[in-house]
Amino acid sequence: MSGLTIALAKGRLLNPSLKLLASIGYALRAAKDSRKLVLDAGTARFLVAKPMDVPIYVEYGAADVGIVGQDALRESGVNVYEPLALGYGNCRLVVAGKPEYKDAEWRLLAGLRVATKYPRMTKQYFAARGLSAEIIEVYGSVELAPAVGLADLIVDIVDTGRTLRENGLVELDEIFKSQAAFIVNRASHTLRVDEIRQVIERIEVKRDA
Amino acid sequence: MISQPLDKQLPHGVADLFFNDAARKRAVERTLADTFARWGYSEIIPPTFEYYESLAAEAGPQLREEMYRFFDRDGRTLALRADFTIPTARIVGTKLFDRAMPLRFYSIGSVFRYEEPQAGMRREFTQAGIELIGAATADADAEAIALAMTALRAIGLDDFRFTLGNAAYLQATTRDLALNDADDLALREAIRRKNTPALTQLLAALKLDDARKRALAQLPTLWGKANVLERAECVNDDARAAVEHLRAVVARLARFGLQDFITLDLAENRGMAYYTGILFEGFVEGLGFAVASGGRYDNLIAHFGPNLPAVGFAIGVERALIALRARGAVRATIAPDVIAQEYSARVQAARTRGQVVEVDILERDAAALRAYARVRGAREIWWRDGKSESVIAGDRKAGVKQSRNGELGIASSPLRGSAQ
Repeated sequence: MSGLTIALAKGRLLNPSLKLLASIGYALRAAKDSRKLVLDAGTARFLVAKPMDVPIYVEYGAADVGIVGQDALRESGVNVYEPLALGYGNCRLVVAGKPEYKDAEWRLLAGLRVATKYPRMTKQYFAARGLSAEIIEVYGSVELAPAVGLADLIVDIVDTGRTLRENGLVELDEIFKSQAAFIVNRASHTLRVDEIRQVIERIEVKRDA
Repeated sequence: MISQPLDKQLPHGVADLFFNDAARKRAVERTLADTFARWGYSEIIPPTFEYYESLAAEAGPQLREEMYRFFDRDGRTLALRADFTIPTARIVGTKLFDRAMPLRFYSIGSVFRYEEPQAGMRREFTQAGIELIGAATADADAEAIALAMTALRAIGLDDFRFTLGNAAYLQATTRDLALNDADDLALREAIRRKNTPALTQLLAALKLDDARKRALAQLPTLWGKANVLERAECVNDDARAAVEHLRAVVARLARFGLQDFITLDLAENRGMAYYTGILFEGFVEGLGFAVASGGRYDNLIAHFGPNLPAVGFAIGVERALIALRARGAVRATIAPDVIAQEYSARVQAARTRGQVVEVDILERDAAALRAYARVRGAREIWWRDGKSESVIAGDRKAGVKQSRNGELGIASSPLRGSAQ
């Protein structure tokens, strides 16, 4: 079939994605080696990358297609096609903070500080509400920020909500629901039109089975 | 060494070009200009900057946002051109509207956009494109597409594929929907990104008649070969006309033997805000972004004068160069054919014949001149005594070292008689 290059997000999406791809004929040739970043799947090649990098790989055409969370996709702001939502990797992007913010009128608060790994979406969210939030970009343990006085609020991905509770935080607002998405480079979509159509159709059949 | 550090050497998004890179770029531009000229297009050279209000006319919010703006001393707002289409439309609308139609123009040069550099699209980048003005026919659209393909082929990018859509189809399908701005934007965005899940959600929330819903819902899947046009649901005569027009354009392209390079895509609604009809983008292997894009703009010229339909496209020259570099395909070089030890009638005659002859002006000795000739990539040295010597292609770094040391490290090449 094809010589497609498929970018896959590392982390919790990786195993379900590999399983999905194996079910449509892209099975790994060797056992998964967690250190390897380029995997041989016979007629396809998998690139395993950080979730935030997958949209970039696909936008630039380093990979023809990719599987990545919609959260990382929105945050990257890349220009790609996203024909399929895959139904796994469900999570939500929320605003959270200490319980006293639950009833606070944010619009009356000057100088809100918000810690996040998602600065782009956070900025959009607060700007759309006319709030002049100061966005603090952190790379890990966002939940820590309110406890140590780094920020008033956080914007982060929540799965079960346990991490929030353990850090004394409550959910204040949901920004959007995310799941794994299948994305396609715009050039590949045209240059490899038949292969891409075939992959999309096969995934749809498996997903809806 | 990477470069000598200098505080604030260059602003973000511009580049210096020299040596072979400059030669390659000019070679590509020349080939494109020749190709356009052979199809009957003549050059139009708009000013680099003009009044912002003319350029902003129909530019759409995004392009307007990206324009470089500044004030003249009278306080009027000027802007650098962000494409060639709008300035050309102004010139035609105000000065050339009563000439024999169609007008065929090409332009090649820098345009300026304040955006993040991406795949060769710097803030100053080079467009080579055409505008075909005064015809609204399928023949005009087919000519524009065929010329874009022919131009890519001429510069060595012959593995192209083009998407072809029609902005009029979506315009007709969404007419009188009376959506609020946010929904309208979300709808277009979902269609543009072929985001079926988002589109399904959006349509479920909107109050629309069934035919309209079906037509919109299927849009993300309306890409591929000609059968796409059979499948397209048409909610009114204009939508039908838009589909018919695409059919006619594809039929015309078949006459050029180019129909197989087209993927139809009715969801396409990106590109310039002034597009009213067909839109197309060209892609080549090894480049994740479009190398060419264009479309029909039937209402733009009316902003400046009488209404004239028009279609055009631009090739991103830097992007073409990236794709060509990956193929090793541009052979333009700045190497001279000959390095002569001194100026002579023979040098003059050779230059007249079109050979590139460089004359030594540093009074190098034989060894240094041989080393220099190697560094410059010259094929021959013409000595003062009238003898010619072919230059042994060698390690260029070694050549540099030699010229610095002034030693003769490599056996001298056999002397040859004069080439004449």
